[in-house]
Amino acid sequence: MAADRHGVALELQGVRRVYDGHAVLRGVDLDVEPGRLVAILGQSGTGKSVLLRQIIGLEKPDAGRIVVGGIELPRYLALAPEEKPFVMAMVFQSAALLASLTVAENVSLRLRERGHHSRAEIDAITRRVLEQVDLAGTERKTPSELSGGMRKRVAIARALAVDPQIILYDEPTADLDPILTEEIGRLIVRIRDTRGATQIIVTHNLPLARGIADRIAVLDAGRIAEYVTPEELVRSRHPLTREFMRAAMLVEQGEL
Amino acid sequence: MAIEAVGARRPGGLLARLGAGILDLLQVLGEAGNLFLAAVRLAPAALVDRGRVAAQMVRVGTDTLWIGALLSLFVGMVLVVQAADQVSNVSQDILGPIVGLSMTKELGPVLMAFLLAGRAGSAMAAELGSMQVYDEINALRTMDIDPVRFLVMPRFIAATLALPVLIIYADFIGIAGGALVVASDPAISLPVHAYFDRLLEWVKFRDVVIGLLKGVVFGMIASIVPCTFGLRTRGGTEGIASSTTAAVVWSFILILVFDFMIVRLSFALD
Repeated sequence: MAADRHGVALELQGVRRVYDGHAVLRGVDLDVEPGRLVAILGQSGTGKSVLLRQIIGLEKPDAGRIVVGGIELPRYLALAPEEKPFVMAMVFQSAALLASLTVAENVSLRLRERGHHSRAEIDAITRRVLEQVDLAGTERKTPSELSGGMRKRVAIARALAVDPQIILYDEPTADLDPILTEEIGRLIVRIRDTRGATQIIVTHNLPLARGIADRIAVLDAGRIAEYVTPEELVRSRHPLTREFMRAAMLVEQGEL
Repeated sequence: MAIEAVGARRPGGLLARLGAGILDLLQVLGEAGNLFLAAVRLAPAALVDRGRVAAQMVRVGTDTLWIGALLSLFVGMVLVVQAADQVSNVSQDILGPIVGLSMTKELGPVLMAFLLAGRAGSAMAAELGSMQVYDEINALRTMDIDPVRFLVMPRFIAATLALPVLIIYADFIGIAGGALVVASDPAISLPVHAYFDRLLEWVKFRDVVIGLLKGVVFGMIASIVPCTFGLRTRGGTEGIASSTTAAVVWSFILILVFDFMIVRLSFALD
């Protein structure tokens, strides 16, 4: 797989993470093909975000291995930024924009710190990715001047600015209304279709997961209970999946 | 002030709590030491990141300049009033040396360091604490940006360079405040020129240098301690508040501890 144009594969084997004697991840196995859009579905507090933090390298698993683009994660993380054969990016639940920087400065931060591009190139990339997330004209605003949905889109633009081969999203639609949720969902699908990046989305939003993902991994009790297509998910017999489906249907039909 | 910024659960029992407190203290000192070494190692990068360093220097300056002037002015004035009363039966000739030596060797460095720790240092702890809580520092890490180079080093360099300058500024204003009282207080018969003459006789260049050396050390403390507490913040807004308070209190304590050590060392080298 050419890492410069398309997404890269992700493989997790027996990933385990324990906090204060409590195992949050109990041996997660997951294979994501290059360019796939995978949703990790699970109840709140079941370790979905913890799993993403292992994949991006913010935390080290207590056991198991993570291989990204054919490289063991610890080896990839030890490489200098200019030596890394592909780029990983993460969109945090809170957007995690630097409050003291403008939108343009946030989006271009990683490019400026790398020092590989001229100022004109950086400005052009910043404008282009902001247009892609429908935020042209917001360059000079600060994060505090933006709505929650706009902040999420700036965070996505910041990820796109470095043309990553793998993008991780932690609850990208949390706290957003259904219209903004749909907008973010469409944007993520467009990124897959136009850039071919591998994307992992952690969410408890079942309609979103079914609507955009190529495959859905259901995380239950620290393990992947199911790893299926959206169509297969509907026919699932797994109790947690059935519960998710039933609850989503009740909410949709206003029968609470 | 207990070190509670990390929000760790305390075990029960007096001895257990004492032990946990000592371990916490050692942990913080170790983290501060590591951060200091990392900031020193990254200091040459300040030439490349001079924009960020300059921005931090402006922040330190605007945070401390006016209140520092006011503080120094009144400290100089109070020194003269207090000393004049004490020496009323001896000679008012020593008013100049009292103010000059007090300001350059002790009060200028310590007051300005306290001010820097209380104003700029608390802002550093709160800002980094907020960035830690809201995943901004993790976002930097995922972008292959070293938070120590990006956030800590500019603040460390700015505070270390700015504090000696602020101390000279405080020394001048404090001495001028003393002169103002000498000139205007009817109870003081000493001419202003005599106040300055005696001051210049007694205050040696070495005294000023020791004051500036203290400024360098205190500037390091007043930036590294708040950054340490900021980076170890956990637990939302309550955690940010705890970190900020702990950062200021521990900066004050360490400034005084290092003040004592520098004074002892300077006398030992005499």
